[in-house]
Formats: sequence, structure tokens, C-alpha cells
Amino acid sequence: MKRILALLAIGTLAPMIQGAIGTFIPLRYCPDLGLLLVVGLGLCWRSAAGGLVLSAMLGLIADLLSGSLFGQHMLLRIFAFGAARACSQKLNLRGLLPRATFVILLTVVTTVATGVLTSFFAAGPGVDGEMLRELVPHALINGAFAPLGVWCVERMSIWLSEVDAGHQLLQLQPRNRLT
Amino acid sequence: MAEFRNRTPMTALVVGLVAFAIVAMVVDRRSAPGGPERELSGWSGAVLDIAAPVQKMISFPFDLTQNAWRHYVSLLDASDNNEGLRARLAVLEEENLQLREALIASGRLERIAEIRADFEVPMLPSELVGVDPSPWFRSVLIDRGREHGVRSGMPVISEHGLVGLVTTTSVRAAKAMLVLDRQSAVDGIIQRSRSRGIVRGRGTSEMDFEFVARGSDVRIGDVVISSGLGGVYPKGIRIAEVVSVSDPGTALMQSAKLVPAVDFGRLEQVFVMLRRGPTMELLYAGEQAGDLGVMASERSEP
Repeated sequence: MKRILALLAIGTLAPMIQGAIGTFIPLRYCPDLGLLLVVGLGLCWRSAAGGLVLSAMLGLIADLLSGSLFGQHMLLRIFAFGAARACSQKLNLRGLLPRATFVILLTVVTTVATGVLTSFFAAGPGVDGEMLRELVPHALINGAFAPLGVWCVERMSIWLSEVDAGHQLLQLQPRNRLT
Repeated sequence: MAEFRNRTPMTALVVGLVAFAIVAMVVDRRSAPGGPERELSGWSGAVLDIAAPVQKMISFPFDLTQNAWRHYVSLLDASDNNEGLRARLAVLEEENLQLREALIASGRLERIAEIRADFEVPMLPSELVGVDPSPWFRSVLIDRGREHGVRSGMPVISEHGLVGLVTTTSVRAAKAMLVLDRQSAVDGIIQRSRSRGIVRGRGTSEMDFEFVARGSDVRIGDVVISSGLGGVYPKGIRIAEVVSVSDPGTALMQSAKLVPAVDFGRLEQVFVMLRRGPTMELLYAGEQAGDLGVMASERSEP
């Protein structure tokens, strides 16, 4: 439970941090922290259902802070989690290069999906040259930060599991002594 | 069979979450802008309320460094600027005096003073605390919300021109869509020639001026202002400047590229106009459905 709450808190902070950084640096040159977190969950999280719900909630929080349609980021985060989960079972995504390549491709797919969804549900112009031009540096930055992002989620997940396990041990030890 | 039984709850969860997301998008689009869900409350409002101080805290050291540097640099040529501004002030004061004299002579000054109250909109200064976390949408988070009188549909401006429109509010924060957003469209006119068109955001630092009638007088350097015809933004707010005009060829319409009057990269403080345009007032009337009768009677009052 603590793991989920901690990751939810980090996932809530991620778009806030990104929004604050965006006032100084164009966002196409910033890594998409929310996406990297969800990819990390897809690759490292044990429970598929738990990771899926967590990813959906992180998407929902991003929707609240973004100008997107409510539910748009949620749908894309569910897709990103599913893609990461499915690809990690079929492909070897352990190295730096495979992870970076996977995140670059995922960024391209989710960006195109963003354009298509916006033009379908709202009055946006869809995917155009401008969007694709901005996509190139953004995808490359995401790819460059992907190994680090996944590693952070992995370490955090292990650390939080150990914290949970440590508390359980502390609770069990006195009982053992009494019996 | 066992495998199917194991997979069923997971499949149901995926289908449920995807269906929820799609329904949320449809509802968000179908409901009138400013329907009750745009006024965030509960946990969703809390996220927006928390975001404003958190983002302010994160950007504080960056702001401090940037401001210190900017002030230092601006000090270097402050003396030259001061001299230039004083000269310009003298010219403008003289011009103002002449215009006043002309108005008094024509007897219109008193009438202008009478109707001025109708055009004066109360402004709420607000600080920009964060931008959209997604690079594909252009919105900003400001540190004023419902408790300060901010409502969805209110225009947001800066000292340089039009910034955007408030789309979502919580108690202490609000989200505003910028005119640069790909979903933004503003009815505008060329200040010099009064040619009309639609200023559409492209999601980048430039905008398009579309649906301008072929043969309209549009030149590079022309200033585009809001026409007030959409009923969303008041008339006469500076929006952008024309940087290029396309050759219409055989088309009936021509278009132009614009650069916004506001430098969105350096935007720090904005003003929320605490009065909605007539279209927005109509659209957002749904959120006060119970008060419709009261509103109608208020509008009919002289």
C-alpha cells in the first residue's frame, strides 16, 4: 500500500515539476516524466492490475493539470503501460539502447495518438508538420532519459518493498519472542 | 479454462478503464464549456490547488536567478532607456493635450466620460505559476481561483495583449488556455484596414490568420486586434502582428502568419478580466441553472 501511495505522490508531483520547469525551458526539450514513470511501472511493477490502475490514475492527474480533454492522458497512459508490459514479455528491454529505442517509439505513437484524439474529440487540426517537427527533439530527449527513468522507478520500487517488508518484520519479531 | 478465468478480471479492468477514459473525453467535449465539471472541487480541485504553491516553490530558485540577471542587465542601459522614455512621454503628453482639446471642442468628452464606466472591466492581477505539462497543449496555471472571483470563460490579458481564456477553476487556482493552443480561435481584425479573419493557434510560438477574404488589405507589420464579434473577448485587445502573407493564388480566402503580441516565453504576470463576454455568459449560464430566473431579471434591469 505504501508503495502505491508513494508512487502516486511521485506521479502527482511529476507533471507539477514539469509544468514549473516548462516556464523556463521549452517542454519539447524536457523529458516527459509521467510517461517515463509509467514505462518504468510497465517494466518493473509486479502486479499488472495494480500497475494499470496506478498508470490510469497518473494519467487522470495529468489531465487535471493539462489543457487536454479529461481522460486523454489517462487513455494514453493505459496504452503506454500495456505496451511496456507486453513488450517486456516478448522482447529484451533490459539494456540501455533497447529501453531508449522503445521509449522513442512509444513517444511517437502517443504523440500521434494525442493529435488524432484531439482532432476527433475537439477542434484541433490533428497531426501536422509543426507537431512532427516538435516531436523529434522531444522523442530523442525522452529516449535519452528513459534508462535513467526506468532505473529510478526500479530502485524506488525495490526500496519501497524493502520498507514495507521491514515494517512487517518489526511487527512479527515481538510476537515471536512472546510465543 | 483456468487461464481464461485468470485473465477475465484483468481484461474487465482494462476494458473498464479504457471505457471510463473514452466516456470522460466524450462528456468533456459534449458538455458546454464551463459546465459544472469545469469548476473543480473535491479531490480534483485539491490537485489544482496544491499544484499552484508547489509549482511556485519549484520555480522560486529559477525565478530568483533569472530576475537577478535580468535586473542587472536592464540596469546597464537604464540611463539610455530613461532618456528615451522621457522624450517619448513629452511627445505623448502634448498629443494627449491636443486630442483632449479637440474632444472638448466637439462636445464629446462628457459623453465619453459617461459611457466609460460601461467599458471599464475590473482586472485581477495574477501570477503565472506553471505551464501545461504536455508539450502538445498550451495552457497555464495561475494562482487565483474561485475565491478571488475567477470563473471559467473569463478573458486573460497582459500589458502587451491577449493571453487566453480561463477554462477550469478550483478554489485557489485556475487553468487558462492560451491563444497559441491548437484548440484556440479568436475573431480578429487588422487594426489599420479593418479586414476580418480568425486567429488560430498552432501549438507553436506562431499563429495563423485564416479566412481572410481574397483582396483584403493585409500587410506585413499590421497589428491584429480582437473584433469582439465572437462574444468571448472584448473588442480592441492587441493579439498579434502579421509577419508573412500567403499568396492566395486562385483561392477565395487568403491567410497570414502572425507572431503574438505577448512574449509567452517571458510571461510572469497576467490580468484576469472579471467579466465574461455575452457568449460565455450564455454558455456558462448552465452552471447556475437554479439562478437562471434571477440572472434574467438582472439582465433586464436598466
